[in-house]
Amino acid sequence: MIKVNDIKKDFPIFERKINGNKLTYLDSGATSQKPNQVIDVMSDVYRNNNANVHRGTYVLSSETTSKYEEVRVKFKKFINAYNSDEIIFTKGCTEGFNLLANSLCKNLNKGDEIILSEIEHHANIIPWQMAAKKYGLNIKYIKIDDSYNLDLDHLNSLITSKTKIVSIVGESNMSGMLPNIKEIVSNVKSKSDAIFILDGAQLVPHRFVDVQDLGIDFLCVSGHKMLGPTGIGVVWGRKELWDSMDPVYGGGDMIEEVYYDKATWAPVPHKFEAGTPPFVEAIGLGVAAEYLMNITMSEVQQHSDSLREYAKSKLENIDGLNVIHSISKNAGCTFAMSVEGAHAADMSLMLDTYGVAVRAGHHCVQPFHRKLKLDATFRATGYIYNNEEDFDTLAYAIENSIKMLK
Amino acid sequence: MSIEEKISKYKKTLDLFPNPQEKYQYLIEQAKKSEEFPVELRVDEFKVNGCQSQVWLVPEEKDDKLFFKSDSDALIAKGLVTLITSIYSNETAKDITNSKIDLMDEFELGVLLSPARRNGAFSMLRTIKEFASKLI
Repeated sequence: MIKVNDIKKDFPIFERKINGNKLTYLDSGATSQKPNQVIDVMSDVYRNNNANVHRGTYVLSSETTSKYEEVRVKFKKFINAYNSDEIIFTKGCTEGFNLLANSLCKNLNKGDEIILSEIEHHANIIPWQMAAKKYGLNIKYIKIDDSYNLDLDHLNSLITSKTKIVSIVGESNMSGMLPNIKEIVSNVKSKSDAIFILDGAQLVPHRFVDVQDLGIDFLCVSGHKMLGPTGIGVVWGRKELWDSMDPVYGGGDMIEEVYYDKATWAPVPHKFEAGTPPFVEAIGLGVAAEYLMNITMSEVQQHSDSLREYAKSKLENIDGLNVIHSISKNAGCTFAMSVEGAHAADMSLMLDTYGVAVRAGHHCVQPFHRKLKLDATFRATGYIYNNEEDFDTLAYAIENSIKMLK
Repeated sequence: MSIEEKISKYKKTLDLFPNPQEKYQYLIEQAKKSEEFPVELRVDEFKVNGCQSQVWLVPEEKDDKLFFKSDSDALIAKGLVTLITSIYSNETAKDITNSKIDLMDEFELGVLLSPARRNGAFSMLRTIKEFASKLI
């Protein structure tokens, strides 16, 4: 069992008071807080090791290069990749999807199809829309049913011989819904030769994602949602796919030989990492992954599951609160909420006065909100440093805010 | 009453409420008793960019003076935009443009009036000033 009070001590932000209250941070779905271990390692690198990676043949450069490259090895273990060279560093999930869309779609034929779902984050929609426009591709969306789950019969009906890419969220950033990825992948693979991409932005911080076991081809991860710094993420992909793909960004470090009229590419992973990478951020991300692995991902998941149960019972009993949350047995600790007659922005401003930090707006899933006929919701997400008391505070603040706003 | 005097009047009132909850309560009351905004004016033409809540602003020129009507689908934001429109209504474009007082500093409304691009009230303030400066 996770000891939240011990974990909280690692996160200096919880020493802050907000409007005179203790901080009840329930917006980890937007970004997680950072433990001292991550903050310290980044500060240490700047103080003691800083030099550009892959360049200099001097002590500092070789130290930062080793630390940076070690992160691939740590991350390989974290997601059970086949090979550490399959780990490509990006700015985050958004850049990951843009990289994949740009590199994969140019090899497709006009009329080929991409399947997404109705609940995707804009990061897993817009890059595909842009590529579809450029290359004449079609995008289809898997419907969701009344319990906010993906309609797998509908998915099966969408797969054709033209389906080339399927890209789906691993955990909904609104309802916490967890699609059965293994089942979906096996359906897709049995009916087509499509590439399967998993959006791990919300899933990877909370559950062990075993890329080999799931049978997926690519996984996008955001570092800042899993205790790491901002500006760093990972795209994992099968080595043979990376090898066959063209780079998207050109520049230093991604080349082998450069002439005035042509160039050859460095081997994977460097082919996809042009320019000086955010190596200090990557080192921070490595420590974040280690922090989670030390707790163990099974403990992290158990905590998410039990906190979700508690939060669900607490929130569902509040009069006038509409909770948008998966009704499945398994789901992430993420709750989008709305109040009839009170705007989500008002709710989140009121909650802030109790020191409760939640997200208000459309959470980058406008089409899903439109489908539910909601302009905006406010959303609470729990993580390893949250406990039942945090959701008690949230419930208390919601009840009082509703009274004030109605 | 000049723009500065109106700002100072509202500042005094807001300062009576020491904590943000009471300040928001005051804004909610202002929103509830504000002049009704015609629903047909809630159109994109009058929409001010914001993300968390929607804000509409309708400017009108009458006898060399500017008048503003405003609305928001969120209550606290509506209270704030009501104050802002009452400050800048019945003033000349020149007076609005020349008024350099920074409402953000004066009103101490923290997150509610921060220069975030998603903040409807902040965008509205900028829109009023831009509208006035174009008329000079």
